[in-house]
Amino acid sequence: MPFVRRAAASLAAATSVSLLLAACGGLNGDPNQTTTSANPGSLAKVADLAGDEYVVGSKEFTEELILCHLTSTALVSVGATVQEKCGLTGDGARKALEARKIDMYWEYTGTGWLSILQQTKTIADPKKLYRSVSSLDLKKNGIHWLYPSPANDTYAISVLPSTQKQYDVYTLSDFARLANQDPQSATLCLGSEFATRDDGLPGLEKAYGFELPQDSQILIDGQASYEAVSKGTSCKFGQAFGTDGRIKALHLGLLRDDKGFFPVYNPSLTVTDAAYNRNPAIAKLFALISAKLTTRELQKLNAEVDLDGKDPATVAKDWLVGEGFVS
Amino acid sequence: MQEANVKRAPTTRGWSGILARPVLLAGVLLWLYIYVNGRELDSIEQRSINAESIRQRLVEHVELVAVSTLIVIAIGVPLGALLSRKPMRTAERTFLPVAGLLQATPTIGVMVLLGITVGFGSGPALFALVLASLLPVIVNTVVGLRSVDDATVDSARAMGMSAFRTLVTVEFRIALSTIISGIRTALVVNVGAATLATYINGGGLGTIIVAGITNNRPTVLLVGSVLTAVLALFVDWLAGLVRTFSFSPITRQR
Repeated sequence: MPFVRRAAASLAAATSVSLLLAACGGLNGDPNQTTTSANPGSLAKVADLAGDEYVVGSKEFTEELILCHLTSTALVSVGATVQEKCGLTGDGARKALEARKIDMYWEYTGTGWLSILQQTKTIADPKKLYRSVSSLDLKKNGIHWLYPSPANDTYAISVLPSTQKQYDVYTLSDFARLANQDPQSATLCLGSEFATRDDGLPGLEKAYGFELPQDSQILIDGQASYEAVSKGTSCKFGQAFGTDGRIKALHLGLLRDDKGFFPVYNPSLTVTDAAYNRNPAIAKLFALISAKLTTRELQKLNAEVDLDGKDPATVAKDWLVGEGFVS
Repeated sequence: MQEANVKRAPTTRGWSGILARPVLLAGVLLWLYIYVNGRELDSIEQRSINAESIRQRLVEHVELVAVSTLIVIAIGVPLGALLSRKPMRTAERTFLPVAGLLQATPTIGVMVLLGITVGFGSGPALFALVLASLLPVIVNTVVGLRSVDDATVDSARAMGMSAFRTLVTVEFRIALSTIISGIRTALVVNVGAATLATYINGGGLGTIIVAGITNNRPTVLLVGSVLTAVLALFVDWLAGLVRTFSFSPITRQR
């Protein structure tokens, strides 16, 4: 028994420490050499990257994982050799890109402008935002932002249509009013990231002039917030991502951002100058793919992973095949 | 899971042995404080690492561990005592695997499932923690009480003690250090598992850890992890202290 007890003690300590190591040593983990295979499709007519080698990374959530596999599969179909580093947490992917440990990953224009480039002035027009972000990042860090997808993976607040009617809440201004007048009803399920980021709740409160009391902030795993709002046991409102498949599947409504606080988050493949210059045809390749990745399309792909439990790599490849990009 | 020869007098380790761990832990905390103080924290880091937030999360964590462990003791010790009685042999053989199964259910899964269906908060978190740590307390109670010599029980009964009184005043005393060992295991398991409570609005130090992971702020992650590890080792030390000083085989009474 003393052994078991001691083992438990060291286990608890080891768990915390390994969490730490997992986060710090993200890149030193298993170098998951890809097993991706794809035959040439329509992409092969646009570019030939035979002999080129790329390391493709991504952040850790569903959409990024799908985009990661989508990218590697597309590259393999045109002859490139790819190593995958999908699923780096937080801004780990960006750090890895800046350190040139990965060659590319999908980033969102709004995140790039506000968080990465630390700009405070928000730009409402998506095209202008893309132009500003791409030129500044290229100049400052030598990172290319390829032609962005029209999908907008913005932060949003989800709510059941019945709740909207009951409290007359349709916009974020309405939500601010509810939070000020009746905070007990303005219960919001949110994840840790949304709770602490400047373009999350703290910024939202400032922009709309309200302060959500601690009791109304239900801090949970952000991924569980869709189900939680739909069940309605703990919260009436929930943090959501615009392209998440569960919004449609669970019949959730989104509050309109009437003051335009949340920036536009168009996914764009960010590529280091070295990788870009190796074969600039890569831009042509992903312009074709980006154009097809609409909000609706991404919602569908995300739902296949989050709701149907499919593997992100399979979902990515099936989509590419379905569009005729690869075969 | 048999505990053999646990009877050790407090003097065998000496005071310096007893105090070594808290001194070490205090040193770790001091290092952490100096390290964090010497860094420029950005707005995201400041929202997680500030005196008020750390105090709140620590209190929540201690509450989760304390309440869940008290519930585990309240359920596990009487249940263990019941299962240790001779007529309950078959019941014990069927029950312990069930308890083992309960312990093996992933804590995070129990929490999130309960959270979504019943509602988020510390309630489902406590329930999951109790499931995770009930087994060692039951097992150690059974083992401890079983190890009491039949002759000791017989002589107590011969002196006119009722079976219940014998259990409480004689058997429990002899089994005490084994039972406390089980509680100690439960405590440490709970300190670790309570970090998961943050996923269902249960608060605790896990909140700081998860904020560090999701925002990729290693300093935040470091603070949450080190505090959890220090708490686990401190609680384990406290429980060890209780066991050392409650060491009271029948021979030491008056």
